[in-house]
Amino acid sequence: MTRSKAGTAMRGAVATAFIASLLSTSALAAPPVDLSKWSPDYVREVAGTKEFDTAADCSKVTPLDYKGRVTLWYQGVFEGDPDVLRQNYKDFFAAFRATYPNIVLEDQGITYNDLLDKFRTALLGNAAPMVVRLQILGGTEFAAKGYLQPLKPEDVGYSSEDFWPGAMKAVTWDGVTYGIPTNNETMAFIWNADIFKRAGLDPEKAPATWDEVVAYSKQIHDKLGISGYGLVARKNAGNTPYRFMPQLWAYGGGVFDEATASPTYKDVELDSPQSKAALQASYDMYVRDKSVPVSALTNQQADNQPLFLAGQLGMMISHPSDYNVMQDLQKKTTGSDTAKAQAVIDNMRYGLIPTGPDGKRAAVFGGSNIHILKPEYVDGGKVDEPAAKALICMWTSPEWSLKLAWVGSNPGNLNGFLTKWMKTRLETTKFLDVTTSMLPYGVPFPALPETPEIMNIIIPDMLQNALTGAMTVDESAADAAKKVKDLMAGGDL
Amino acid sequence: MTVVTGQGEALRKSGPAQPGRLRTIWQHRADYAYVLPAIVVMLIVIAYPIYYTIDLSFFKTPPALQLRDKVFVGLDNYRIILTSDVFWRVTWNTVIWTVSSTIFAFGLGFGAALALHNDFIGRGVLRAILIIPWVISAVAASYIWKWIYHSDFGVIGAVLVELHITDRPPNFIDNVNTVLPSLIVVNVWREFPFAMIMMMAGLQTVPDQLLRAARVDGASAWQRFWHVTFPHLSNVSTVTILLLAVANFNSFVIPWIMTGGGPSNASHIWITHIYELAFGRQRWGVASAYSVLLFLILMTLGYFYVRALSGNERKDRSE
Repeated sequence: MTRSKAGTAMRGAVATAFIASLLSTSALAAPPVDLSKWSPDYVREVAGTKEFDTAADCSKVTPLDYKGRVTLWYQGVFEGDPDVLRQNYKDFFAAFRATYPNIVLEDQGITYNDLLDKFRTALLGNAAPMVVRLQILGGTEFAAKGYLQPLKPEDVGYSSEDFWPGAMKAVTWDGVTYGIPTNNETMAFIWNADIFKRAGLDPEKAPATWDEVVAYSKQIHDKLGISGYGLVARKNAGNTPYRFMPQLWAYGGGVFDEATASPTYKDVELDSPQSKAALQASYDMYVRDKSVPVSALTNQQADNQPLFLAGQLGMMISHPSDYNVMQDLQKKTTGSDTAKAQAVIDNMRYGLIPTGPDGKRAAVFGGSNIHILKPEYVDGGKVDEPAAKALICMWTSPEWSLKLAWVGSNPGNLNGFLTKWMKTRLETTKFLDVTTSMLPYGVPFPALPETPEIMNIIIPDMLQNALTGAMTVDESAADAAKKVKDLMAGGDL
Repeated sequence: MTVVTGQGEALRKSGPAQPGRLRTIWQHRADYAYVLPAIVVMLIVIAYPIYYTIDLSFFKTPPALQLRDKVFVGLDNYRIILTSDVFWRVTWNTVIWTVSSTIFAFGLGFGAALALHNDFIGRGVLRAILIIPWVISAVAASYIWKWIYHSDFGVIGAVLVELHITDRPPNFIDNVNTVLPSLIVVNVWREFPFAMIMMMAGLQTVPDQLLRAARVDGASAWQRFWHVTFPHLSNVSTVTILLLAVANFNSFVIPWIMTGGGPSNASHIWITHIYELAFGRQRWGVASAYSVLLFLILMTLGYFYVRALSGNERKDRSE
């Protein structure tokens, strides 16, 4: 499919899905962008239409000459991120220190897979930072346990309507808002057109369904002897649920009913026929066809990236940032590898994540939130609220919520889409519109305190039990469902 | 007061010992003062955490609640552990891991020590090379070995495929049957230099005159080793094996970094399982109960270690 044809198809699908998605949300007040018109073209149209002065906006929350101190832990860049994002983080902290020269900021970046464990441990010793920026599935756990202060966008000068309704759900517990979304994202489907061509597949057409992903993966492996699809099933790694849950939801399954318009999280669905069908698809690729990386059980997306760049992997799910990551990696190649890597980059294609048998398309509505801790859990026992709010105001501003999500995500603050930097971003970040187009299909993780254990441990365990042959597909689905039920009942083990 | 009972007689007999002991303590007051800071620190950083862990092991800590909302459940956490399938699987893994790692590391280290005990050109260089695995950070070693083992682009797999020995790279750490042996190889590689150094030190203590006398008497190399060298190494061997066993029982870095206990819990040993229960799943109570059991096992090993050391000291004194 050519770019324009793909764009047309995408626009139609996106508009329909997004309107349906919006009807299921309550926050229809007055978002800064017209969500009913959402499409790649609309995103381009609104980009650069509004000016923002971050310092002036935040000075209304905390005066720029305020003297104070704030400590911050944040889920920051890691080995799979591109260099441009590292630079943007440096720029943000420099900008904050320049804007608020009298606020001492002590920041600590921690990788996605380590942050939750470290933060939990710090909380037990009342040694947490004043402000924490957590992955989207972490907020509810800490809000439910009473560690977080109520915090809503209005507290730092914005409106709740400035943020994605789904993201606001992820920071709400028991009717109270405990944080502000910093960035929100959905991933897309990436493939190597040259591999498709050599395997006898249409190089410009992504698999339309997950069943086709299984078939394409086998065809690529059988014809070329390389891995077809970049399966990821490592435990305690965020990459696993971000890649398996879209598959699970597309087949009509779920942990609960989180993929429905009004989830209740009452019944466990992991052992439903639809969920088992999704697991069976992974089993077919890993065990039956052996068409995915063998290292899937211990690897993560950062391991798939070099495989893809080396032309040893046909398809994967990831951010638009993977395009930049490939460019960064290519710069490190030498000799003939440089040309090979360039050929792979030239053959990178992005498309919507495939649908299930009934046409359901889904992606994890991911991202991060920023929170303020209660003083009793903070190192030193005090929270400098004006300083904390100054930091959060800047981070969640249209400018910085966009810049800190430059290639891997999208701004949590919808006003970010209106800025001139969004225009630059669209011009410089290839394939951004594809992942942006996936946003309406985003399904938030269940907003429950037990979600991190479900997503980081139970789901990967289910995959590993099935893929290693330790259990059958049915047994591993039943085992996972039982574990979730036990967990929701208070959890002994 | 007149003491007329037998019990009183016994008390009177033991009476003079008390002032004597106190006097001895008083005489050594400076010594006690010197060790007091260390004892205080140990009470804070060792005794209190042990007490707290034991205390926590009697509470249920629901994952959706704060730790302070724990519920007293008596010995229920121990019952949960001992009746769970995972416990027995993880215990079996731990036994295989500890016993295999200890035996192979000791055997390899002992062999290397014997080889290096002989004088030959390049001995010093070889000794320095063999110590490298031990001085490399366990974290770095784990990442290197993960790359060496990688099931898709690992070094071993690439070499074997290049040499046409296999069609596909072997699956070392993504297979439930091969993962634990693969990790044990890494652990042995890292630990055998320690055993080598210990045994090399032990070999220095074997009297040369005994070996020469045995040679003069016509003893073969094996007989000299078995009847002269080995008996002199029994104490250092016991200490080395106990230290290796304790280190292996507590070993965390290699399995956690390389596999995280997976796939499908096939490489979970006690310590990684405890970590996951506590920090990943927030079952602080159950994890504490596991830790208490682990503590008891390690204390038992520690008892034998101290006994072996005491035996050495007694033997040294008697000699």
